[in-house]
Amino acid sequence: MQFLEYTLILLAVMMAVAFVRLAIGPTIWDRILMLNLISIKVILFVVIYAILNENLLLLDIALSYGIIGFLTMTLLAKFIMTGGREK
Amino acid sequence: MIWIGVVLFVLAWIFLLFGMIAVFRLKNIYERIISATTIDTVAALLVIFALFFFVPSFAFAIRLILLILFLFITNPISSHVNIRSAFLTGISTEKEGEEQHD
Repeated sequence: MQFLEYTLILLAVMMAVAFVRLAIGPTIWDRILMLNLISIKVILFVVIYAILNENLLLLDIALSYGIIGFLTMTLLAKFIMTGGREK
Repeated sequence: MIWIGVVLFVLAWIFLLFGMIAVFRLKNIYERIISATTIDTVAALLVIFALFFFVPSFAFAIRLILLILFLFITNPISSHVNIRSAFLTGISTEKEGEEQHD
């Protein structure tokens, strides 16, 4: 019964596949979307690793990583929408 | 009780696979953003709900509840901001194969 390890392997493979889409994405919003998906998968990876090793501090790191990923996505989308000018 | 967690993990694998297939199969950018973000949010919630059956103590469960609240709030906002940025910059909402009707 090693379902946690299998999920870790599947998440790593999914991150690699998402990175391929990030490289070939035709528009910039595809790349922002892929950053979002990779950020969610990194959060899940860290959470499962923390449960597996019974390390409490890694869960706080996962929370702060989620905050940083959300800020990155929203600020990049807003920056592209206004074209770099202030509105 | 642990078989509930196993069933949720298998469901989460299916959602992760279909989310990544949808990113590669769909042609329009709005379809890609909608399908990928919603399916991935459901997969993340399923994985965290499944982890409730594997936690060693109560302090882990509180952090997991905080993560569930955070993901539920911020993921739809992120996808909405992305779609709004694409729409206001002038990406067409028509599919690529269809003709545009005036």
